[in-house]
Amino acid sequence: MNDGDDIVTASHEHPGALNKSSYASLYRRFMFLALICSALPLLLVGWVIYLNYSKFASSRMVDSFQRRVEYNRRIVELFLKERASDLQLLALTHSLAELGEPSNLERIFAVLKREDSYFEDLGFINESGMHVAYVGPYDLMDKDYSVTFWFKGLMGSTVYISDMFMGYRKTPHFIIAIRWLDGGKNWILRATVETEFLSSLIGGIKLGESGEVYLLNGEGLYQTNPRFGGKIMDRSPLPVATFSGESGVRILDAKEIAVDQAYPSQVVGYAWLKEPHWVLVVKQDYAEAFQDVNHANTLTLVFLHLSILAILVVAFITTKHMIKVIRKRDEEAEHLNRQLMQASKLASLGELAAGVAHEINNPLAIILTESQIVRDFTGDYPDLNSEFKAELAESLTQVDKQVHRCNDITYNLLRFARRSHAVTEWVDLNACLQEMIGLLEKRGKTKGVEFVTDLQGDLPRVLTDGSQLQQVFVNLAANAIDAHDGKPCGTIRVSTCTSETNQGVEISMADTGSGMPPEVLEKIFDPFFTTKPVGKGTGLGLSISYNIVKELDGVITVHSEVGKGTEFKIILPLRSSGHHHENEERIHGGNCDETGEDLAG
Amino acid sequence: MKQARILLVDDEVAFTSNMSKILSRRGYDVSSVNDGESAIKAIEDEEYDVVILDLRMPGMDGIATLRVMKTKRPLMEVIILTGHGSVESGIRGMNLGAFDYAMKPIQINELQEKIDEAVERRFVREGRGS
Repeated sequence: MNDGDDIVTASHEHPGALNKSSYASLYRRFMFLALICSALPLLLVGWVIYLNYSKFASSRMVDSFQRRVEYNRRIVELFLKERASDLQLLALTHSLAELGEPSNLERIFAVLKREDSYFEDLGFINESGMHVAYVGPYDLMDKDYSVTFWFKGLMGSTVYISDMFMGYRKTPHFIIAIRWLDGGKNWILRATVETEFLSSLIGGIKLGESGEVYLLNGEGLYQTNPRFGGKIMDRSPLPVATFSGESGVRILDAKEIAVDQAYPSQVVGYAWLKEPHWVLVVKQDYAEAFQDVNHANTLTLVFLHLSILAILVVAFITTKHMIKVIRKRDEEAEHLNRQLMQASKLASLGELAAGVAHEINNPLAIILTESQIVRDFTGDYPDLNSEFKAELAESLTQVDKQVHRCNDITYNLLRFARRSHAVTEWVDLNACLQEMIGLLEKRGKTKGVEFVTDLQGDLPRVLTDGSQLQQVFVNLAANAIDAHDGKPCGTIRVSTCTSETNQGVEISMADTGSGMPPEVLEKIFDPFFTTKPVGKGTGLGLSISYNIVKELDGVITVHSEVGKGTEFKIILPLRSSGHHHENEERIHGGNCDETGEDLAG
Repeated sequence: MKQARILLVDDEVAFTSNMSKILSRRGYDVSSVNDGESAIKAIEDEEYDVVILDLRMPGMDGIATLRVMKTKRPLMEVIILTGHGSVESGIRGMNLGAFDYAMKPIQINELQEKIDEAVERRFVREGRGS
């Protein structure tokens, strides 16, 4: 209501209106509900989806690692098995003599290497661990293998594949050896596999920026050159104990990888070969492996939270708007309520006033008759002291005068109380206002107050009670003039226009007088409320005006600012609902102009 | 000119007695009663030219009294004089055949004018009637 400036209206403050804090709590409740009903479920669903998807994506990732590991293991196993088969084929297809002849063995080796140079060298070894024949770049003919670990290992089986070892040649290598019986003696074919070959077989698999594939033996030594941090036969930073079971995929965080260097979390897939006791490891940085998943997840989360933010913003705006609407409704309802209260207050006061007026009028009538009697009877005694007669006459005149004063008050009271119906006719309000200005112009001038008019030329005529309205105008104008007491000059702007809704006309009377504070504004339409000194006003003028306008189905409002002035606005319908045509002015002709002096200003 | 016979009907005794004195001094033949029933009885017993009738009285009120009076003495003029500001009752009174309507307190001169007008009409009617 108080829209930022100091303008107050008649409906400025009222006890029933919801105060600011209750709107704030209403606002909080709405926002809370919006949160509970929309944002929270969305958040829950979003997070559940996010977590489930993460789990799903992660298990997919693990599966893919598993498959990759299995695949690589099969490749390695197949490769080793084929190489052993190559040797076994040689043993089966060649006689001991053929194998024992070095030139022959060289030819056989050449055939073997024709397809692919897997083998570095080939040796035919007898039961006592000595070379019968040897083809290769090293001079190993005089070496005794009977004491080597692989020779011993081979005695328990027919095929032996060794771990990487340095051996006599002092470079990392591993061998494949087969043993068979011929002529009651054990014979052995031993081949060295090209060291680089195994590395290239699995090291060729590229896994992003951080991925690597390598083989470890049972002691955790590299069997192939790893892509990062180490070389063949070095100890792997991941202990062999990590690779429990036949195969698996594990996600290791930095702490689990017990090394001194800073190591990011890793996804590790592994599978143990059947022969030899090696483990194939596929390893990638966790961050990289889950990059796409994480990216998708981040997007989901960002989208989710943006959605919630959007909901909050929308909730915020709608709530604000709703509160505004509710507030406006409340204010309208309060305003209406107030008007109703005012009306009923006036009605009951009216009844009271009528009763009081009647009760006072009777004694007044008696007083008047008494004074008349005294006056009459003094006439019968012409010889009375003339001074006494003059004094008596003056007293009686005073009695009559005071009785009339009382009578004026009761008259106004009764006017106020009267619920009679208006005389309706088509009234030119502009003319009516001009008439009123003509009546009060002189009075205004003596106080330095000027009338300014802004009357709409084509103002429609209004079916209403002209004389009653005239009384209202005179009341308001008289008040407006009085409001300039204490100011050297001022203006009263009288304007008319067709009302906004086009359903009526609007009359405004704005003065530049002293204005009224809210506490006065609240009461100006109450009967007997006056700001004027005792005896100057009855406080009924505005009450009567209010009632008249109401009777004519109009609305009267007031805006006032202390020190700046007051504006009364009357909105009248084009047709007042005319009832009986009673002409009360005929009975109580004439003194409506005086009521104007009784008003608060 | 024949002396006009006036009947004052008002529950305020002070008012009727004062008014009797004042009007008598002005040459009217004035009687007064203080309630509706007595007023009816008075007009039955005697003939009056003008009745000055208060509207609000205990017991039989002014309007009821007026109604009865008008049936009994249709030619008798009645001036309603009341402290009550109700225009409706005034109008009703006029519709029931009252001659005029006045508010208390009323100046003697004003009342006298009304009485004289009423008396004049009464005499005119009586003259024609008889």
